[in-house]
Amino acid sequence: MDEIIVTINGSQLRGSEGMTILEVAQENGIDIPTLCYKTELKPIGACRICVVEVEGSRTLVGSCHTPIAQGMVIHTHSPKVLETRKTIVELLLASHPDSCIICDKGNMCELRKIAADMEVALPPFKVRKRYYPIEDTSPYIVRDLSKCILCRRCVRSCSEIAEKNVFAVAYRGFKSKVVVDFDEPIDKEVCRDCDVCTRFCPTGALSKPREVGEEKKGEALFISG
Amino acid sequence: MPQKLIVLRNCGVINPKDITTYLDRDGFKAFKKAIDELTCEQVTEEIKASGLRGRGGAGFPCGLKWDLARKAQGDEKYVICNADEGEVGTFKDRYILERDPFTLIEAMAIAGYAIGAKKGYIYLRAEYHHLDLLTDAIKQTREKGFLEHFDINIREGAGSYVCGEETALMDSIEGKRGEARYKPPFPPSRGLWEKPTIINNVETLMNIPQIILNGAHWFNQIGTDQSKGTKVFSVSGDVKKPGVYELELGSRLKELVEDLALAEKVKMVQVGGATGKIIPYEMIDTPLAFESILGAGAVTVFDETRDIVDVVYRSMEFLAEESCGKCAPCREGTEVIVEILERFCRGEGLEEDIEVLQRLASAMMLSSLCGLGQAAPIPVIDSLQYFRSAYENRIQKN
Amino acid sequence: MNNGQEELLLLLQKAQNEFGYLSEESVAELAKSLALPISDIYGVATFYSFLSTKPLGRNVIRICKSMPCYLKNCQIIIDTVEKEIGIKPGETTPDGKFSFQLTNCIGACDKAPAMMINSDVYDDLTPGKISEILKACK
Ligand SMILES: Cc1cc2nc3c(=O)[nH]c(=O)nc-3n(C[C@H](O)[C@H](O)[C@H](O)COP(=O)(O)O)c2cc1C
Ligand code: SF4
Ligand code: SF4
Ligand code: FES
Repeated sequence: MDEIIVTINGSQLRGSEGMTILEVAQENGIDIPTLCYKTELKPIGACRICVVEVEGSRTLVGSCHTPIAQGMVIHTHSPKVLETRKTIVELLLASHPDSCIICDKGNMCELRKIAADMEVALPPFKVRKRYYPIEDTSPYIVRDLSKCILCRRCVRSCSEIAEKNVFAVAYRGFKSKVVVDFDEPIDKEVCRDCDVCTRFCPTGALSKPREVGEEKKGEALFISG
Repeated sequence: MPQKLIVLRNCGVINPKDITTYLDRDGFKAFKKAIDELTCEQVTEEIKASGLRGRGGAGFPCGLKWDLARKAQGDEKYVICNADEGEVGTFKDRYILERDPFTLIEAMAIAGYAIGAKKGYIYLRAEYHHLDLLTDAIKQTREKGFLEHFDINIREGAGSYVCGEETALMDSIEGKRGEARYKPPFPPSRGLWEKPTIINNVETLMNIPQIILNGAHWFNQIGTDQSKGTKVFSVSGDVKKPGVYELELGSRLKELVEDLALAEKVKMVQVGGATGKIIPYEMIDTPLAFESILGAGAVTVFDETRDIVDVVYRSMEFLAEESCGKCAPCREGTEVIVEILERFCRGEGLEEDIEVLQRLASAMMLSSLCGLGQAAPIPVIDSLQYFRSAYENRIQKN
Repeated sequence: MNNGQEELLLLLQKAQNEFGYLSEESVAELAKSLALPISDIYGVATFYSFLSTKPLGRNVIRICKSMPCYLKNCQIIIDTVEKEIGIKPGETTPDGKFSFQLTNCIGACDKAPAMMINSDVYDDLTPGKISEILKACK
């Protein structure tokens, strides 16, 4: 494997051919936030939270899918990068419901964690909210798509890991939506004993139905903070 | 400067339904010259030396693209002609296809030879379904034996502007939703079905046969330093003579708009469709070239009665409707900007909106996945620069 | 490469032309024959504006509302069509003869305002021309 040397935030770092900027950064303890990216899944570059500055590039680049190249000079936390990431988080929050306090996944939501880390408060603009009825007919999954941020982790994990292809993205633009069959409430027998997508969903959009009195599961994200 | 015809040289001269009229105008001579006298490398070198740049909007050097694809390893390679022409106010590709389909077919055959592809696609927007003479032109070319080692298929779109973006277009040919892919990898190394692919606009390809016949040096003499050759413009809006005009690159916007299209009392011109730059009348002398303004050559003229905020609002509404929805900044950002501009149109802007618009514009340009989201804020930024008072006058006073 | 996927858009276009829309039955059939999940097909079908999962009339009128046509007062054409066939954009006449939609730039800006009926383009429109054009529709 060819060794590639890049400069990230002023330090010379080594990587090998085919590694992404994000991978090199993570290996060296540099924390770049991500939302749509998961190590186990193929990257799609949809959320754009992971963008970084690469000298010589007109735009910022998605670090989760851009391979390193010899001599690349990268800034992961420049003012331009931080400002842009912050605006993207605000955009995601703007169309998101304000129900965090009563959200079952409130303490585990990656969107909230990133917003807190980046000190994003209420967005300075308004946009219509996406309101969809809660889908709770399935004994295995509850879907509340009003909270969906369209990261497609469910779509990909269901197809790449569970290999069940339950979800797909339908419509386009702001109306894009993760659908099941002909845009029907989820209620599939293949979901029994699966739990893959609910684990991958970064928000409260997908969860397992909670038994009465059951404890909230999962590691809490806000203990240190 | 008068019109200069390279791309349109056959339009209105040959019969688009009869290949023999094309053969009488040096048709397929360039193709024969390429395969008989030139190596693949010589073809790409010639195109490189000509300085030809893409006419679909991005202006990427054509020869370099071809050369990358030629050198790329792959059992199969593809040539795609981008005839999606979705940019608002563009119709020059339709004009060309209606009048001279053969030059395009010859150019694709040359491209196929140059990069080693056996198959080509013409991606035609659904709105141009009526251009069935294209199918017939391919058939006639096949019958004449010019497509023995390279065949061309037509694929129709189904109503989507973003499918003109090269990677979304490839996903669409693959039968999927037309969503943009991240780059790299770029199409010349991994394009259609992950195979080396070149994709070019109709007009870019139309230049190829003449460059092969007359040589790179001939082409290189035309135009400006960084913009060689001519450009075909689609002029519409508040003009007396809307239509298609071919001018040497570097010609002034004023000549096109006032001298040829006969516009009067111009307030501003948008060059490049819904994502195009807005040029106020004071700057009407700007040269049309890659160095300054060009896009795919949509020139929409607005007279003094028009309202800039309304124009920008409508451009943004178009982009919000056509955003594929894959990436967050474009999907959410276009929607938020539409909401803000709609309020300005009603005279209900807020003091802080202008700063918000600027922040959103910057984030979208810097972080969107494809050219749609990256270019969407251009009219917002330009109008805030040149017509700021139009916004300020509509801020609600309480 | 999944061959089913490659065929998908072509087959959807074919079904759309043949039946006027993509019914649940035809999508389900395609899913079976191409071995693709229904959700994937629905995702493709709803992405493109010329494909429809709801029944459309025999004649689909699409009036261009983009900038060049807007500058040439397409609103008056929209109003005329609305009056002639008695429905608003987004609707279909009860007899199934017409569907009426507004669309983005159709590349006829040199002869704005313009519209399409099925795949035919009508340009240089004036309110006066509309009723004749509509009368010729079957
Ligand atoms: C949103 C969007 C729409 C586009 N539409 C078209 C189009 O309709 N026709 C076209 O030739 N290029 C279009 N392009 C540019 C293509 O992505 C690509 O750059 C071009 O086809 C390359 O050909 P060229 O180098 O010959 O210009 C579009 C780009 C974007 C971002
Ligand atoms: S449901 Fe969850 S995992 Fe799926 S796209 Fe929405 S936020 Fe992402
Ligand atoms: S910029 Fe817009 S059109 Fe392009 S990938 Fe993102 S959402 Fe899709
Ligand atoms: S984490 Fe890279 S684009 Fe979403």
